[in-house]
Amino acid sequence: MKLYYFSEMPHHEYPDAEGDKYPSLRLAFPNTFFSPEIAQRNYQRYLDEYDAADQAGFDGLMINEHHSTPSCVNVSANMTAGILARTTRKAKLLILGNILPIQDNPVQMAEQVAMADLISGGRVLSGFVRGVGVESWWANTNPIHNRERFEECHDLIIKCWTTPGPFRWEGKHYHFRHVNPWCLPLQKPHPPIWVPGTASPETAVWAGRMGYTYVPFLVSFEVARELFDFYRQGAAEAGRTVTEDKLGFLICAVTADTKARALEAGRHFVWRMGPTLRGPAEYFSPVGMRSREASRFALKARSISLSKMSYEELVESYYIVAGTPDEVVERFARVRRELGIGHLLLEAQESRMDHTTTMRSIDLMGKSVIPAMARI
Amino acid sequence: MTPREETIAVGPTRVEVLIGGAGDPLLVLHGAGGNRGWLRWMDAVAERHTIYAPTHPGFGRSDAADWMEGIDDLARFYLWFLDVMGLPRVHLLGHSIGGWTAAEMATMRPDVLDRLVLVAPTGLKPESGEILDIFYYPPEELFPLTVFDAATIPERERLFGRRPTPEEAEIALRNREMTARLTWKPYMFNPRLPHFLPRVTAPTLVLWGREDRIVPVICGEQYRRLLPNATLRVLDRCGHMPPVEQPDRFAELVLDFLRGGPA
Repeated sequence: MKLYYFSEMPHHEYPDAEGDKYPSLRLAFPNTFFSPEIAQRNYQRYLDEYDAADQAGFDGLMINEHHSTPSCVNVSANMTAGILARTTRKAKLLILGNILPIQDNPVQMAEQVAMADLISGGRVLSGFVRGVGVESWWANTNPIHNRERFEECHDLIIKCWTTPGPFRWEGKHYHFRHVNPWCLPLQKPHPPIWVPGTASPETAVWAGRMGYTYVPFLVSFEVARELFDFYRQGAAEAGRTVTEDKLGFLICAVTADTKARALEAGRHFVWRMGPTLRGPAEYFSPVGMRSREASRFALKARSISLSKMSYEELVESYYIVAGTPDEVVERFARVRRELGIGHLLLEAQESRMDHTTTMRSIDLMGKSVIPAMARI
Repeated sequence: MTPREETIAVGPTRVEVLIGGAGDPLLVLHGAGGNRGWLRWMDAVAERHTIYAPTHPGFGRSDAADWMEGIDDLARFYLWFLDVMGLPRVHLLGHSIGGWTAAEMATMRPDVLDRLVLVAPTGLKPESGEILDIFYYPPEELFPLTVFDAATIPERERLFGRRPTPEEAEIALRNREMTARLTWKPYMFNPRLPHFLPRVTAPTLVLWGREDRIVPVICGEQYRRLLPNATLRVLDRCGHMPPVEQPDRFAELVLDFLRGGPA
């Protein structure tokens, strides 16, 4: 099973009591609490940690993007991919992902991903996401059009990568008269496409139909299995066989020399599960963003909100894995047995988890966990 | 009185319409909350007018119109609706986004218009303040912001007095989705509308609640200034819903104005 290192590049350097005063840390928490001085240091630190993860032997480095939130100040997945394309050597660069519905220029998106693929020597895995509702607010894109724009933006990007220009695109949401990008990916026909999921059966079915790698984020095993069933349904419709290489899963994970230290470090992930997901439903799922079916599924999938779970419960339920390398190997192996996946994505860092702890975890993963998992 | 309910096909799109009363026709266009049925103020006005109160496409039980992108589409739709109904000339009354729709219709076809009543219409960017972002708030938080004092609404029990049934909840969600489709960006206004409003010479009554926390009263001033023949009336102790907050006063003002009283 392949392992991926993921840093959400948080900015948790503010008093928690201040954040508690607002309806949500997303959209509403004022950016007067953003410190450019701290962010400058953090970016250097986070990029160093990515480099270390590459050297430690992680199969991939996952990069994401969010906006208007201290939980993730990586505001451009492609910019980070461009940096890591130069500073890393072996690991795949898993952009998971570009938020397609809020893009106004899919052609530029196709160019940027292609450029990262070229600079990295063909190491990009190109993830496409619909984004949480916060991103629709940030971009002021009508959430009613979220799915339509996701699919049309995707179609245009793929066409940019696979159809010689110049050509014209007159869609419902995107209109380009002269499409002829002079930057095309190294990988042919194009970088592999990945798609994450948390609650939308339609996305799982669509990813299955398209044959893309599908990765549920921070859900229970039971919900992940249901989403994989939807994925298989889509794959079957398209006559595709589903191999474990098409299925992944994301959890939070940290290892340390002792169990006590690992558990202490893992506690930092509780912020990511709770306070950063707190807020009105309208912020995370504005009107029209979810279909009725997805809303029903979300209610079931999140019958217990992550923010309501204790640290112990999160560890017990595998949302967080924290232990010695041997314990972590054992738990990762269980995840693999439960879900039959080929890729495990590890959110492995939080800004209050200090650099030394993060680096030690990366180091131990490289020395003990990655080799063990490669054999499983 | 009891209105009759009809389903009217406008092209391929069928809309539900409440029709009641007798006299010169009055087309009533509802706001973002949807068609709340036959309201108390309508009883009084229907004594002198035939009221046509359709449910917008995408709202209530009317057909979807996912192809629509803005309020100008809805305005064109209702001009077509008038053709279908055989109504060459009407009084037009619209509330909130229905008021915006009415204003757009008036700029497109001033000739179909007898008298125009705009009740707290969106459609113009406020010169100061902002139109409240209704999509940013959970519906239960929004309602208290919508009215001045819910306790004084005469039809409160009938309209808001119980939890919605699953079907009503689905309709409320549908109404919210269609409103988002029509008004998301620019939010609740058309930057070109002020340039066309001077075309509308019909006598116009612009009605507003002084305590409107959804659409600032200054928008009423702007409509009054831009429309060549308009009067602004501002109701005290009233929020964004004059037709249900003060139905009797509202009906009286509408009847007086439609009777030919000064705008």
